[in-house]
Amino acid sequence: MKSAPAPGVRRILPALALGFACSAQAAPSDPIAWLHRAAQAAKQASYEGVYVHANGDRISTVRVTHLTTPGEEHERIEPLDGPDTLEIVRRNDEMFCRFPDAKTVRLDPRITNRFFPAILAAGADTIAASYDVKLGKTERVLGYECQWIRLDPKDGMRFPQRLCSESATGLILRAKVLNAERHVIEQYTFTDLKLGDKSGRADLKSIFKARSRQWLSDGQPRDEATNAETGWAVTKAPAGFNKVAELKRTLPGRAQPVSQLVLTDGLASMSVFVEPNPTPTRTSEASSEDGTTTFFVRPMGDQLVTVLGEVPLATAQQVARSVAKR
Amino acid sequence: MTQEISSLMDGELEPQQAERAIRSCCASREATETWMVYHVIGETLRGHAPDAMATPKVLEKLAAEPAIIARPRRIYETPAGRIALAAAASVATIGVVGWIGTQGMQQSPTGAVIAKNPVAVQPVSIVVPAQPAEMQDYVAAHKQLPSADLYRPVNRTAPAAAAR
Repeated sequence: MKSAPAPGVRRILPALALGFACSAQAAPSDPIAWLHRAAQAAKQASYEGVYVHANGDRISTVRVTHLTTPGEEHERIEPLDGPDTLEIVRRNDEMFCRFPDAKTVRLDPRITNRFFPAILAAGADTIAASYDVKLGKTERVLGYECQWIRLDPKDGMRFPQRLCSESATGLILRAKVLNAERHVIEQYTFTDLKLGDKSGRADLKSIFKARSRQWLSDGQPRDEATNAETGWAVTKAPAGFNKVAELKRTLPGRAQPVSQLVLTDGLASMSVFVEPNPTPTRTSEASSEDGTTTFFVRPMGDQLVTVLGEVPLATAQQVARSVAKR
Repeated sequence: MTQEISSLMDGELEPQQAERAIRSCCASREATETWMVYHVIGETLRGHAPDAMATPKVLEKLAAEPAIIARPRRIYETPAGRIALAAAASVATIGVVGWIGTQGMQQSPTGAVIAKNPVAVQPVSIVVPAQPAEMQDYVAAHKQLPSADLYRPVNRTAPAAAAR
């Protein structure tokens, strides 16, 4: 990184990678270019597979089908564990979440990239501002050659990450998040993957739609997702974390909408919620850490501030304690 | 002690704790035997029981713990069983750690294990553990992965003509 060529060259490499992401392009040697390619591949490649997600004590299995046509990205996400009560069909950033039991389709625009393998929420250069990016070993994963990308945070405000990017397309096949002691605390891995245009559009259609003749449409999340002025600000966000969304959300059991600010450094993200302190009034702080999911809540006058995200507890605390009226 | 040796074998100890565990491991006969037994169990579960290690003493010890040995042998015959058992084992470990953690908070610290929970964050006010229930709404809102269980009736309803 230190001996990297002029910034201009670094921008040209990803641009080249972008143009050829879907064809088998000679793999770049610059780690930043790899990162860029991985982000592009998640959007532009067509793939179909099942991945396992382990976070803390929880393990879940998800089927994902992804197809790109010119200008449009289509995806179907289906959790495979537990009762089949949910599926998400996505078209670009519009997500249609179908609940067969409630015969309801919930419309919810995607705020940040958070469904594997699309886990990069900012450009490679933005991510490289907060993480040292290096190439690790290459490995055979699911029969594909895979290049590990090592992302080590430049400060203690985020977790180290390891991404395994398929050599020909760049698609992320495996991802690990480590804690400060370098133990794996969250992990994604494809267990079955077909790369390329083998999946048809039929696989992207809702499989739940036929279960009901009439579906109700819940447009509230969509209406709420338009950027709102909440009046709240995070005054001391750790370096690299930028606000990408500000909205007012209706959460169950609340009389008033809850303010939500979403911050991301391109890899890790967190939501800051501000709402009136409910009755019975919370008087003490509370926290929880499970895998990468950190929760911290603190009373602030007559308000309640909650931070939830994939960040170390110290980060959540710093953010929660720096929330102020704008 | 037994817990510590078990944690050591599972690679769950910090370097200092591991060093202490290794030292104490050979300090008493009982500890040495526990160490041996765990290794034999581990090897047996992996399907290659080392005959050389199965000394009469170890076999006697194994026989004295039928609950540990007999069940895994059956379950371990299939890969699915293997996963199930691994899951069960990790649940058990979590249970023990959780229980010890609670004990620690109620002022009956058991030294070594309590030291496993270093607090690296600034303690400014009293922070109590959060309850999973109070987090659910925030998790769903942040991850944009709604749960069907938590799904509430629609406020404004309209036929979903446009939704595919």
